[in-house]
Amino acid sequence: MPTLLTEYLILAAILFVIGGVGVVVRRNAITVLMSIELMLNAANLTFVAFSRFPLVAGMTVQHAMRGQAAAFFVIATAAAEAAVGLAILIAVFRRRETTHVDELTLLRDPEPVFEREPEPVPVAVHASLETH
Amino acid sequence: MPVGTYNWQDMAALAPAIILVVGGCTLLLTEVALKSAGRGYQAGLSVFFAVIAGLAAFSQLASPGRSLFGGFARLDAFGAATALIICLALALTSLVGQSFLREQASERGEFHALAQFAAAGMILLADATDLIMLFIALEVMSLATYALTAYLRSSARPAEAALKYFVLGSFSSAVLLYGTALAYGAAGSTKLADIAAAVGSGAHTPLLIAALALVGAGFLFKVAAVPFHMWAPDVYQGAPTPVTGFMAAGVKTAAFAALLRTLYEAFGQRALALGAHGHGWYVAVAWAAILTMVFGNLLAIVQRSVKRMLAYSSIAHAGYVLVAVAVGAFGGEARAAATQAAIYYLLAYTVTVIGAFTVVAALEKRGGPEIDDDTRYDGLAQRDPALAFVMAVFMISLAGIPPTAGFVAKLFVFRAALDVGAVGLAVVGVLSAVAGLYYYLRVVVVMYMKPAPESAPAAPRRMVSMSFGLALAAIAVLALGIAPHSLHQFAHPAALLNP
Repeated sequence: MPTLLTEYLILAAILFVIGGVGVVVRRNAITVLMSIELMLNAANLTFVAFSRFPLVAGMTVQHAMRGQAAAFFVIATAAAEAAVGLAILIAVFRRRETTHVDELTLLRDPEPVFEREPEPVPVAVHASLETH
Repeated sequence: MPVGTYNWQDMAALAPAIILVVGGCTLLLTEVALKSAGRGYQAGLSVFFAVIAGLAAFSQLASPGRSLFGGFARLDAFGAATALIICLALALTSLVGQSFLREQASERGEFHALAQFAAAGMILLADATDLIMLFIALEVMSLATYALTAYLRSSARPAEAALKYFVLGSFSSAVLLYGTALAYGAAGSTKLADIAAAVGSGAHTPLLIAALALVGAGFLFKVAAVPFHMWAPDVYQGAPTPVTGFMAAGVKTAAFAALLRTLYEAFGQRALALGAHGHGWYVAVAWAAILTMVFGNLLAIVQRSVKRMLAYSSIAHAGYVLVAVAVGAFGGEARAAATQAAIYYLLAYTVTVIGAFTVVAALEKRGGPEIDDDTRYDGLAQRDPALAFVMAVFMISLAGIPPTAGFVAKLFVFRAALDVGAVGLAVVGVLSAVAGLYYYLRVVVVMYMKPAPESAPAAPRRMVSMSFGLALAAIAVLALGIAPHSLHQFAHPAALLNP
């Protein structure tokens, strides 16, 4: 009897790739969060597909159930992850008024500086120095 | 598998993690009942639980390996040694955290509670022998660490660091989970032993190799190995400094422990490790080690902020541990030596890096100059000779100069590499360590040779707990360097990783 295993696996792989590309190219942090959920769900779909249509000959019921149990663990973990992620996002938004990932540039490598320009002395300070 | 295999003996074997969970819950509960003035003892309570958990782990060091809960976790010397390192990191972080948090006016119990939960996750990560169990332990650790990174959420940098850490951390967790799902399909189980059996049977090999690649990439993200390192500098720089030390020490140790277990216990067969024509995972891990050592050290040189420099140095040090991981591909004696070297390296790195970040934290003032300003180190030897001395000790250890822990740790790693004939790995490692000398010793030179600026801001007053933590770390670094053999013996049973 032909099974639907291949179809499910291909669908899961497509979901995983969409999620992965989403994390990399999307700028909005909320969309990034959704992309991560998509990746987790792709893994879940793979678990359940392998559980329903075992690849390993003679897989016991316990082993088949383990894939479905794994999906539940992942759902719970994903919920916890979303809670922490949204809390962090709110902390960022309160402070910076943006949820765009590429506007968060406080932390980055310094520009390579080989010859540092001397800082121009403001005129007012300059004048006050001369009076001393 | 019958349900009846769950019993109290198995539960007791997880005592270190359970003690820390109880500790975290206790800290959260006492937090509700306390006024701000009475919170000073919370750090003490946190250290207390860390010490108790550490003693529990110590009592497990000599235990013969035993499988727990029908193969979901394993009680062995390797896990116990890792748990001991993590408890040490937790205790030092709690000691240091109190002083730092008081200076930042945000002394609350959640900090210590989150650190305890994170440490519990780390210990479970080192014990897990089932990929689902491993994923959940990883998430327990990661979620607590994301929250710790954002702990000083009123300032902009920690929140930004936490968001970057969260996005890339969850991404890597998802990659690892997808690999786990593929391994489940190929082996019909997520237990490492069953996966090893499937690898041995030779069925579904492409699926298993894909699983190995995805799981391995997930772990390389967690240990910040090149080319999966881009999150680390930003996160390490932006996080509250004691948290950075905890991440660099604890998260790295736990992730390496899990990586070692997965690679050796599930995918350790010679055919997959070395391959028929040199195409096993040995080649991939060795290249990751080389890239990590070279790029970590070269990029650290151009940094102007000491904190960010230490972040890149942390990437470089992950490379040295990866050398040991790669050497284990040769199996047998080499694998025992590699495990031993990795554990010793992680122990040495833990005490050194927490000490170094503590010095950075000790010089940070609330509302003071931002982290990029490093005039604080100019002439530190005149203003605060003790602090300058311990910083010099930590820098020398990170650089790998005797008589410190860092030197002995590098020696063990490179010796393990030379014993299997991996001369290239050892040579690249030594050369990149030489490049590292430049930026570590620059800090020492600035502290001892530069005159102190006249307008130098006074360092905030250190609490006794922070000074104690610093002294403890410095003594440990020197003791590990001067008398390595007593502690190398401690790491010896850790080599008994299940083949």
